[in-house]
Amino acid sequence: MRLGRITAIAQLTVREAVRSRLLLSLGTFLVAGLIGLPLLIAGDNTLAGQIQIILNYTLTYATAILTATTLWTSCGGVSTEIQDRRLYLVLTKPLHRYELWVGKWLGIAGLNAALLILTGFIIGAMTWHAIRNSTDDPVTKRAVCEQFLMARETLLPVTPDWSRLIETNTWRLMQSGQAPRGMTANMIRTKLLEELNNQRFTIPPGKEIRFAYEIAARETGDHDLILNYKLESTRPERAPVAARWLIGYDPAQVFQVNVTNYPGVPCTLPISSHVVNRPGTLAITYQRLDSGSQATLMMAMNNPGPELRVASGSFSMNLARGLLVILCKLAFLAALGLVAGCLLSTPVAVFTAFFIMILLASAGYVESVATSGVFYVPHEGPELVQTGLDRLILHLFKAFSVMTRPLIQLDPVPLLTDGRIVGWDLVLRAMAWLAGLYTAITALIGIMLFNRRELG
Amino acid sequence: MGETTDLVIEARKLTKIFQDFWGRPKVCAVNEIDLEVRRGELFGLLGPNGSGKSTTIKMILGLLHPTTGLLTVLGQSPRNVAVKSKIGFMPEESYLYKYLTAAEILDFYASLYGLSGNRKKERVSALIAQVGLDAARNRPIGEFSKGMARRVGLAQCLLNDPDLILLDEPTSGLDPLACREVKDILLGLVRRGKTILICSHHLADMQDICDRVAILMNGKVCAEGAVKELLINPGTLRLSLESPSRESLSAILDYIEKETGTRPLVDHTGRTLESVFIETVKQRNSIP
Repeated sequence: MRLGRITAIAQLTVREAVRSRLLLSLGTFLVAGLIGLPLLIAGDNTLAGQIQIILNYTLTYATAILTATTLWTSCGGVSTEIQDRRLYLVLTKPLHRYELWVGKWLGIAGLNAALLILTGFIIGAMTWHAIRNSTDDPVTKRAVCEQFLMARETLLPVTPDWSRLIETNTWRLMQSGQAPRGMTANMIRTKLLEELNNQRFTIPPGKEIRFAYEIAARETGDHDLILNYKLESTRPERAPVAARWLIGYDPAQVFQVNVTNYPGVPCTLPISSHVVNRPGTLAITYQRLDSGSQATLMMAMNNPGPELRVASGSFSMNLARGLLVILCKLAFLAALGLVAGCLLSTPVAVFTAFFIMILLASAGYVESVATSGVFYVPHEGPELVQTGLDRLILHLFKAFSVMTRPLIQLDPVPLLTDGRIVGWDLVLRAMAWLAGLYTAITALIGIMLFNRRELG
Repeated sequence: MGETTDLVIEARKLTKIFQDFWGRPKVCAVNEIDLEVRRGELFGLLGPNGSGKSTTIKMILGLLHPTTGLLTVLGQSPRNVAVKSKIGFMPEESYLYKYLTAAEILDFYASLYGLSGNRKKERVSALIAQVGLDAARNRPIGEFSKGMARRVGLAQCLLNDPDLILLDEPTSGLDPLACREVKDILLGLVRRGKTILICSHHLADMQDICDRVAILMNGKVCAEGAVKELLINPGTLRLSLESPSRESLSAILDYIEKETGTRPLVDHTGRTLESVFIETVKQRNSIP
C-alpha cells in the first residue's frame, strides 16, 4: 500500500466536499439542528429534562444526519465520478483500485470526524449554557450535573449462588416423579431459577429486601452515587408506597432515607460520597413501611436489581468516546456506500443507500421478530400456521439480525443520555467489529468486484 | 529479435465483444486486429465514429479487458499497474475535477505518479509554463475554456515523463496556434525517443506529424503503413521550380511533352491555411 497515493485521494475527497460547499451546507444544517431542536421541543421545564433533551435529541439528530450524508457521499461520490468519467483519468495512473477505495473511505471518515468534533463542541456548549442560565438553586444544578453530566459505571447487586439449591431440587423432583410431564432436567433448572429470581425481587407489604454491592477502591471518591430503581405493583391501582432505604457497610451505622414511590415510575436516589467512602460490601435495604397495603411490589429495574451508578470519569471524555463509537459506525456505512457506488450507477447506488438506511432503521424491529419468531399476532381468528415461506423469512430475519446486532448493541446514545459510561471496552468493540471486521469484509468484497469492473 | 523488443504496443488478434446484462454478446467493437507500435514513432489511429478506436485505447490503458487475443504494452499486460507509471494519457474530453485549479490538479496527478516534494513542485511549474498556463495556474478548471482545459489535459499527460503517450483527439478545441504548439511539443517528444499513439479525426494534423497510421473500420484494421507511403500516388510526379521565366517554362513543358507524350499540368505551389494563419498572427503580434 502506497500511502502518498491514498493520502492524495483522501485529500481530494475532502477538498471536493469543501469546494462543492457540501461541508459548509452540511455543517450549517447540523449546527442549526443541534441548536434549534432543543429549543423547539417542549420539556418538563426542569433542568434535568432540558439536559436530557439536549443530549438525546442532538445526538440522535447528528447520528441520523451523518448516516444519511455518509451513505449519500460514499454512494454518489464514486458512481458520479465513473459516470462523468473523471475516474477514467485517475485509473490510468499507477493507482491500484484498492488504493482509490481506501483513499475515498479515509476521506469520508475524515469528514465525519470533523463533523462529529463540531457536534461534540456544540453539545458541550449547549449543556454548559443550559446549566449556567438555569434559575435553579446550586444544589439542584449540582444534582443534575452529578446525574447526567458524568460518566457513571453501573454496579449490580451480587447474585446469590443458587446452583446447589437448584441442582438439589431438580434431582429431587426428577427422582420423586413430581416433575411435570414432558419437562426435562434443563427445563426444570430454568424454571427454578426464574422462580428464585422472582422471589428475590418481591417485596410484600411491611417486608424488606436486601441487596449487596461490592465497592472497589476506584469507585469511591468525591462524587455522589446514584441508585436507580423502578417498582412494579401486582395491583392495577398505582397507589404511592411509603418506604425507607437503609444504606451502609455496617448494620450499626446506616444512612437512612424515607421515600414515597409510585409503581411504574423510574426513581433515582442520590447517595452521598461520605456514606460510600471505602471499598467493601455495601448493603442496601429497601423497607416497606405500608404494612396495611395489599399490593405486592417487585423490583423491576432490569432483572438484576437496582443499579448503583458510580462516578468513573468526566462527561467530556465520555462524550468523546461516544462520538468515537458513532464514527466507527459511520466508517462501516461509508464502506457499504462505497461498495454500492463502485458497482452501481448513481441512481441505483443512491436508491441502494436509502434502502440500507431503511433496513438499518428497522434493525430493532427485525431483532424483535427474529427473537420472538412472530411478526404479528391477531387477537381474534383462527390460530396461525407457520408456512415454509414464513420459516424462510424468519431465517432471513435472523441472519439480518445477527449482522446488525453490533450496530444496535454498540449504540452510545442511550448511555450518554442517561449519564452512563461509554467505556473503552465499548469503543474497542466498535473499532474491532464495525470499523474493523465489518468494514474489512465489506471492503474486500467491494474491491474484489470493483477490480473486475470494466470502465467502458 | 531486436524488432520485437522495440515494440511498445503489440496486439495480436485483439478482440473486444461487449456483452449485455445476461452475458450475451451485444457488439463486437474490435475484431481480431493486429497492431504494432514501435519505440520512438508517432502512430496515428484513424477511423470514423464507432470504428473501435476508443475501445482499443481503453484496452491499452487497462480500463477495458480484451475478450480474446493478446495485448502487451511496454512488454507487459496493460492491467499491470506498474506499467501505468510509464504511460501518459490525454482523453478526448477533459475529464478533470472542475473545482480544482490547474496547479492543484497537476499536483494531485503528480502525487498519483509518486512524485513528491520539490521534484513535484518543479515538474508541475515546468509543465504549466510549457502549456502556456502560467497566468491561469490558480484559476479553477471550471472557469477554463475548452482549449485551456485541453492544455491542462496535455500537461497532466506529461507529468511522469512517460515512455508511451496516448492521445485522444489532442488538437480538438484548440486554436491553430495552440494546435501548432501541441504538434511541436509532440514532435519534440518523439525526437526525445518517446512513443506516441494518437487517435484523431483531424486528418491534416495526422498527416502533418504521424510516422505511421492505421485506419480502423467496423473494428478491423483496413489499412496500415507509413504516412508517406500511403499518400504516394504511384506513376505521378510533382516538379517544383523557383520562379522560372515564361520562356524557360515553355521550353521545359515542350520538352516533357515531347519525351512523355503528355502535356504536364502547371499550377502555383499552394500554402496551407494553417501556415497562412500562423504567419498572420505572428506578424500582428510582432507589431508593437
